[in-house]
Amino acid sequence: MINMRSAEKLFIPVRIILVIAMLGLMGPHGGASAAIISTESAVQADPADQARSDIRKVLERAEIRDALMKQGLDAAEATQRVDSLTDAEAVRLANEIEKLPAGGNALVVAVVAATIVFLILLFTDIAGYTDIFPFVKK
Amino acid sequence: MFRLFRAAVICLTIGLFYGCASFDGARLPPSDSLKVPLHNEIGNIPFFPQTDYQCGPAVLAMGLAWSGVRTTPDTVAPEVFTPSLKGSLQSAMVGAGRRNARVAYPISGMTALIKELAAGHPVIVLQNLGLSWAPVWHYSLAVGYDLHDRIIILHSGKTARKQLSLDVFRRTWARSDYWGLLILPPDMLPATAQEDVYIAAVIGLERARRWNEALAAYVTALNTWPSSYAAHLGMGNCYYALGDLNGAETVYRGMVFRFPEKGAAYNNLAQVLAEQHKYPEALAAIRSAIRIDGAFADEYRKTLDEIKAKMKTEDY
Repeated sequence: MINMRSAEKLFIPVRIILVIAMLGLMGPHGGASAAIISTESAVQADPADQARSDIRKVLERAEIRDALMKQGLDAAEATQRVDSLTDAEAVRLANEIEKLPAGGNALVVAVVAATIVFLILLFTDIAGYTDIFPFVKK
Repeated sequence: MFRLFRAAVICLTIGLFYGCASFDGARLPPSDSLKVPLHNEIGNIPFFPQTDYQCGPAVLAMGLAWSGVRTTPDTVAPEVFTPSLKGSLQSAMVGAGRRNARVAYPISGMTALIKELAAGHPVIVLQNLGLSWAPVWHYSLAVGYDLHDRIIILHSGKTARKQLSLDVFRRTWARSDYWGLLILPPDMLPATAQEDVYIAAVIGLERARRWNEALAAYVTALNTWPSSYAAHLGMGNCYYALGDLNGAETVYRGMVFRFPEKGAAYNNLAQVLAEQHKYPEALAAIRSAIRIDGAFADEYRKTLDEIKAKMKTEDY
């Protein structure tokens, strides 16, 4: 199994190309034209930081796109999903995306754990802390 | 037993929390201080039962259909569902709302939820039906409540109008930090709308290149916050993106009169004037911007250089 770190290394050249492409497309403030100041940059909390954070934002968008493509989305759909987010949302998502579960597959452990989890959830359902089983009256 | 558990796992989503860390109003204050009716249920929402793991597309399709978009879970699934995760990320729900020309407005907490439902706006909620260490993530559409019987009414999974005790619901919702989402047509303002949050939601529509709807939403914002600088600028920028230079010019001209201390409006006005070959006026506008200075000073100088270059090539 390829571990995450080496998989990430494989993506570095792809990422560099993407960043260059996106920088070219987006212009300094992501607007339709370099000369128009976008609504988004006008309302940004810390405009003094603009130039530096723009590069960071583009990197983060590329990162999210990579991550979505690794999850099996095609390039066009991954791009559209990233493009429909504001900078603030993209930064937040990039920070969170590392938390995507690795997805281990030890079957025996899973079955034992599932049995224990079932009993606990049944109990918490009855107590009204969870809402898993339709047959538990709430 | 295992199968039973699996059957109960209605759908799995990955909890990438969308930054609704505010716990204000998480618990419900006494109902009389909320100033809402004791009971309300939104009637005209189509119900799409979900198939395996497809709670995200089903719930989003219901929200979109309520807001006037003709759609089905199968139509929206490619825009929200991530097959390898067997779930739908919150950011994809937000983005897909925008791609379908709707304002995706985040809300958080029980008070905001009840107020929106009382105003007739259904709310997409992300619940963890399990426990923090054994999560069962699930999207539902909240469609009503009854504060007397203390229940919430949800379109959830395969059940339309599922009635759930408010306390159980609050515990399952708390595990996503009370992540809620409104899907609204651009002429409708959330009952709990805050200016900056709403503007950010409309900027999202600009991001998704839905300029017409963003324009309509900025107009909606201006009806409530007539002195919003961002909504004015956004309106002008939408006209510009739509290629309506006259419309953009009118808005920016109003802005430099109304917000004389803001350089960005002068800059955008200068650009629009230059594109219409009105160079003397464009130069005057951009020089005003440069005098104001501020965070975008470099941009202003770039605009000035571009205008000068344009004049040169046209032998003005």
